[in-house]
Amino acid sequence: MKKIHAVIAIIILAGMVLSACGGAPAATQAPAAATEAPAQPAADAKVLRVWIQWGDNPQQIQALFDKYTALSGVKVEVTAPVEPEKLLPALTGSEPPDILVLSGGDLVKSYHKEKLVAELTEIVKTGGIDLTDFYPAPLAACQSGDQILCLPWGTDVYALFWNKDMFEAAGLDPNTPPKTMEELVQFSEKLTKVSADGTIEQVGFLPDQAWSHSPDIYLRMYGGFWFSEDATKLTANSQPVLDALQWQQQFYTKYGADKMLAFSSGWGDAYMSADYPFYTGKLAMYVDGEWMTGPNFISKFKPEASYGVAAFPPPADHPERASTATVSGTVVVVPEGGQNKDAAAKLLAWMMSPAVVAEEFCFNANLPTSKKAAEDKCFTENPKFKVFLDIMASPNAKPIITTPVSLEFIDAWGVVEEQVLHTGADPKPLLDQLQADFEPKLADALK
Amino acid sequence: MEEHRSSGGKFSWPPRLPKWGLRDRTNFRIGMLFLLPWTIGFLVFTLYPMVASLVYSFSIYHSRAPLEWVGLQNYADMLKDDLFWKSLSNTLYMVAIGVPLTLLASFLCAVLLNLKVRGQAFYRVVYFLPSIVPTVASTILWLWILNPQGGILNTLLHQVGIDGPNWMSNPLWAKPGLIILGMWGMGGTIVIYLSGLQDVPLSLLESAELDGASWWQRLWNVTVPMVSPITLFNLITGVIAMFQYFAQAYVFRGSHGLGYPLNSTLFYSVYLYQNGFLWLKMGYASALAWVLFIIILVCTLLLLKISDRFTYYAG
Repeated sequence: MKKIHAVIAIIILAGMVLSACGGAPAATQAPAAATEAPAQPAADAKVLRVWIQWGDNPQQIQALFDKYTALSGVKVEVTAPVEPEKLLPALTGSEPPDILVLSGGDLVKSYHKEKLVAELTEIVKTGGIDLTDFYPAPLAACQSGDQILCLPWGTDVYALFWNKDMFEAAGLDPNTPPKTMEELVQFSEKLTKVSADGTIEQVGFLPDQAWSHSPDIYLRMYGGFWFSEDATKLTANSQPVLDALQWQQQFYTKYGADKMLAFSSGWGDAYMSADYPFYTGKLAMYVDGEWMTGPNFISKFKPEASYGVAAFPPPADHPERASTATVSGTVVVVPEGGQNKDAAAKLLAWMMSPAVVAEEFCFNANLPTSKKAAEDKCFTENPKFKVFLDIMASPNAKPIITTPVSLEFIDAWGVVEEQVLHTGADPKPLLDQLQADFEPKLADALK
Repeated sequence: MEEHRSSGGKFSWPPRLPKWGLRDRTNFRIGMLFLLPWTIGFLVFTLYPMVASLVYSFSIYHSRAPLEWVGLQNYADMLKDDLFWKSLSNTLYMVAIGVPLTLLASFLCAVLLNLKVRGQAFYRVVYFLPSIVPTVASTILWLWILNPQGGILNTLLHQVGIDGPNWMSNPLWAKPGLIILGMWGMGGTIVIYLSGLQDVPLSLLESAELDGASWWQRLWNVTVPMVSPITLFNLITGVIAMFQYFAQAYVFRGSHGLGYPLNSTLFYSVYLYQNGFLWLKMGYASALAWVLFIIILVCTLLLLKISDRFTYYAG
């Protein structure tokens, strides 16, 4: 008898320990479905879990998904923001979220290769999602041949911002941005101020500030990218890549990279504050995304700022590349291990509906990926935001090309770019080395 | 087979253990029951992951597909991987320079805090306080202190005619910046040294003083040898912690990529994290983890081995 008691005690204790240590997913399970109707088909799931990588305002996102609950009776539990290091354990675990919203599509092909995310053709059919309503560039970034690996849900493009007061002070027309990349260099020289002792006081343009070089708009302007259009070849040492790096390098070499770095690194991480150099008159031109024109950035931190926004200018000898841009942003994937794929398909269809896209991305001031949603007044009434909508609709707007080695490559590219811009290194041998390092890795990954 | 002498003087195998009574057996079972939570925790959350990572290190890891067995390939790849060597050299820099500097500074601080002066408790609290500030918060604070434009450190250096370096974006100065940051939070090491200093026998110090030894001679010839076991402890824990250096480097790069500037802050653990969790190369990351384990083990054993020469145990 005593033995039986001891065994029972051990089992209870072991159970307690395991449940305490195992990060009990009590809040994330579907108690209603589990207790009331365990044998129900997946389509009748009563709780769906949505993980979103971004999200400064989780309450707003939850409130949006509560509207789906009101419509369908299916409870949606939103977790946002989710740190990047939690994604892999979640996707590989036995209970991944039903829907995962990623900040970018860089990892989608790798995830798909590892069978972590589902191919969506069937889910798109089940959910009745209208693919013709998507802007082509962001949708293309989610496709791989005939396969649909993700769906874009709001996206970003990048444009040139200029400070009109600084233009005026430098004797430039405040309403006329540079028309070519060469003119941008000239404008930058006029807008840069150096004190008698060589210290930089004001910079005209900084090529690697904020979001300007990721994904790289300059490469596209010079007619190339890191990868071939079909994402099967590495073109890291191609002429357009070399040209783009050399164009960026001149902004540093002219005034001395050390002096430029001492000036720019003093800004710290002021992106979301009134101390941002674009607001404080230290940086006259830079490249940034559409969200800057919404309520959460310039109009919040520097409401009186006088600034203009225009498509980044093309090289003088390629005017046909006007409005060239790389479109990249939020994508939605359905984890392969999800238990409620049919219910997830319905939720996905609701997320992609124009009204929901309009509501969420009006709030965040991001580009809507639905053409119908883009007709909403909140997007079209702001002329500065409209600049970005027009860029995305341009035939020169291209999807970001991703491969299974994209993230590793971009990290290595970042170091090459640093060496070229910040130490004045010759880009050619560095790019050749980068090509030699990653060519076999890409070939290996695509096998 | 080794033979054992039983209590009766005869050799027997297996050795006879004293017979347990009912109370002994009950006590044993209750003891085991109390040990069970830890044992399960150890088996599930330490031993199993370690064994699994050893297996993964010989394979290409696919989370939802069978492992691809590659033998020693991951280890061979390391030898050709420039970033592996870069991350290892960055880490060794911190171990070779950061740990001794921190030990020296914390010992000197402990000696000062051990002086019988007014407000001794206040000074001790002041020196200990930074070590309870969370790592991320203290690193962000130091990003401001080390800011090349308007940061306190460079402003002070400017006052004495020194043009302060660009701590955050110059690859030569990023690691020294991190070492200074680490020294700010050395309160824990100071406290351990302080406890050691309390144990230095006053009789020895007084004898040395009577013999005409100066303050410096007493410190060097009496105090330093007497606290040498504490130094060994701090050295070994410091070396182990430095080989696993991660959080400060992760935060220090600001909005730049890991390792900024120019991979000068790409430490071993950062590179391991990058491989495993960002590039999804879990097999390679597991091999990196095992190499780190072996490096730490060898370093610790070496330190223990050579410690005989400089460690004095009063007992």
